Amino acid sequence: MLDELRQTCRRLLQDGAVQAVIGYGRASPDDPVVPIFVTKPEEVDRLVWDDHCFANLTKYLSRKEVLSLGKLAICVKGCDERALLVLEKESQIDRSQITVIGLACDGVGQPRLPKCESCDVHTPRRADVAIGKATAPDDAAAGKRYAELEEFLKKTPEQRMAYWKAELARCIKCYACRQVCPMCYCRQCIVDKNRPVSISTSATLKGNFAWHINRAFHLAGRCVGCDECTRACPAGIDLRLLNLSMAKAAEDGFGYRPGMDPNAEPIIGAYSQQDHEEFIR
Amino acid sequence: MNEASAFQPKIIAYVCNWCTYLGADLAGTNRLEYPANVRIIRLPCTGRIDFNLIVKAFERGADAVLVSGCHPGDCHYTAGNYHARRRWILFRQLLETLGIDVNRVHFSWISAAEGKKWQQVITEITEKTQAMGPYTAYREICQEC
Amino acid sequence: MSELLAKKDILRLVEQWLAAGRRVAGPRCVNANAQHRQTDLINYAWLTKADELKLDGFIRPTNSIKDFVFPRHEKLYGYQFKGKQIELVPAELPTAEQIVIGARPCDAAALAILDAVFNWDFKDEFYNRRRELTTVVTVACAKYDDFCFCTSVGDGPCDPRGSDVLLIPMDGDRYEVRCLTEKGKKLLAGATATSSETAKEPEGPPVRFDLDAVGKFLAGGYEQPDWPDLARRCLGCGACAYTCPTCHCFDIVDEGSASGGVRVRNWDACQFTMFTAHASGHNPRGDQAQRQRQRIHHKFQIYPEKFGQLLCTGCGNCSRNCPVEMGVLPVLKTIAAKT
Repeated sequence: MLDELRQTCRRLLQDGAVQAVIGYGRASPDDPVVPIFVTKPEEVDRLVWDDHCFANLTKYLSRKEVLSLGKLAICVKGCDERALLVLEKESQIDRSQITVIGLACDGVGQPRLPKCESCDVHTPRRADVAIGKATAPDDAAAGKRYAELEEFLKKTPEQRMAYWKAELARCIKCYACRQVCPMCYCRQCIVDKNRPVSISTSATLKGNFAWHINRAFHLAGRCVGCDECTRACPAGIDLRLLNLSMAKAAEDGFGYRPGMDPNAEPIIGAYSQQDHEEFIR
Repeated sequence: MNEASAFQPKIIAYVCNWCTYLGADLAGTNRLEYPANVRIIRLPCTGRIDFNLIVKAFERGADAVLVSGCHPGDCHYTAGNYHARRRWILFRQLLETLGIDVNRVHFSWISAAEGKKWQQVITEITEKTQAMGPYTAYREICQEC
Repeated sequence: MSELLAKKDILRLVEQWLAAGRRVAGPRCVNANAQHRQTDLINYAWLTKADELKLDGFIRPTNSIKDFVFPRHEKLYGYQFKGKQIELVPAELPTAEQIVIGARPCDAAALAILDAVFNWDFKDEFYNRRRELTTVVTVACAKYDDFCFCTSVGDGPCDPRGSDVLLIPMDGDRYEVRCLTEKGKKLLAGATATSSETAKEPEGPPVRFDLDAVGKFLAGGYEQPDWPDLARRCLGCGACAYTCPTCHCFDIVDEGSASGGVRVRNWDACQFTMFTAHASGHNPRGDQAQRQRQRIHHKFQIYPEKFGQLLCTGCGNCSRNCPVEMGVLPVLKTIAAKT
């Protein structure tokens, strides 16, 4: 798979089809895998692919420091590809200008990350170049998808609140969660607004609740569950659970899963006269 | 029970200008009595309701929040309440997950002609909140650390 | 002759301090959702029981001890609007003593470095008060990982800077105790046992880059063309700055309502886009390359020129906490290799 990846990128760069490949690399076999930007055909051997390729590289499609390199090719796993679709639907990328290299993935991390246990996109489905074949099946039961959340919701509301108070007390407002998220592309985030202040920037429990409620809700119907925010958080906050909550609400309420179906209308920004609820009197 | 000694909840009602606000006004002109615990905040449309407003109400000491607007199909801006309804369906799940008391967050459609409904809804919410007691959980979060 | 203390006696001391109502902080598990980590997250945090304290078995906590002298959120003063008048309500400076036990030398040395900037053109009474109230008991590092580079910046696993007590691990779960200041002597008065044994000072990590070469590169000027490539994968969050023992930038904001509020200071990070945004709309450091460049220059050229010390102790937190494993180490290794 790695050879095929490198060949593909060498060809793309040599032909001038792209000016840069966004991929994974490591400085040496002992170093961690990091995002790299290959601009010369002779450097494609820097590219690697293994089960430590965690980063969701689609974030870089909103970073001007990367867009300035020219026409881009990007390596994506199935979960990352979902982000591409959402970005496309929100008019943030011109898909026709990007060469998408889809990497079949059996899961990342040792042990496997929780998101990989219920993955049903082991093989990216809309790539320009498809590399590799996943051995893990794509039919992860939908029933497993929200298992952690369903388990959590068995707690009483008081227990749930106590859990979040303990988790969010550790937040230092570093915004690593926001910066790694491909869906967080606003040029000025609402938390940066200060005339007047909308969301408190203080790393107090009040400010942390305000921030995380805000971010979870701004991601409702948009978060694809790549869990990069959870991995990036230096305080180990269980952001995955918050995002699962919104993903479940989107699927239960509207049958919608972000980034899965190119023909599905995104739920936020749209409405239906048939939207059903039982709590409005 | 002596009314003066009973706990008096603070209810924040975010209401749309064209329907519920006028409905509340109608309740007033018809001299319909309802508890004075509600603080009404008028917005052009429920579509303008930012979930942040609900959170801020609790931050500032509200014991219950009501969000109310035009019936589906009657929105002055055509579809604002449809957008709002969709957001509320999602937002309630978030409140559930966080352990915030969803019994203290109420939504209703009250038209300009429904002064009586306004009276009923406010009375019901006030009594219910009185029975539940003050909402200390969110206020504890807001203590300076 | 040396003074020794057994680990169980240290824990007993901690238990006594807590029982006496003293505030004690140290490395402890925080029961974090440990996705992607091999072990639970370990932070410097307040202790409620002595057995929460972890003195060994890991490299270093994810945060730093600056949290205790320079908190992430601090009230400066309050204000109340009384008609057309404004009444100021001064913040009460803390009075409770605090003990930080189990600090790493790279954390303690940072305090000695921060003392300079917080007492430079303005004596920061908040920082100074907390610093006076804090006794730092440091444990020398028995092991290191690939992110540690204390020895590359003139620091080391036994560096005494900033510590009131230095504990050096020995076999048999014992420590050699070096009380370096009056505060340290006072804390452990009578608790240690004299011995003829001494601890072998641990060796630190191999030197990872040539510090002089870094200096030469930075002295070569601000307009080096390498920065866009060096900074390209940086996503501009504050994880490095906030977990760094020496980073100290802050933002002052007012939080309040129509009746009054508080003026507070919160941590800020030079990697945020808005960090240098002007009210006019101009942003002198509008791209990540400029921001990364500034960070390295600040830590390895500007601060040393002003205060005679590097603004870095080689703890490696920046790289460990970085979502894309950047931090300063990969950048320093690259620029050192260029000269």
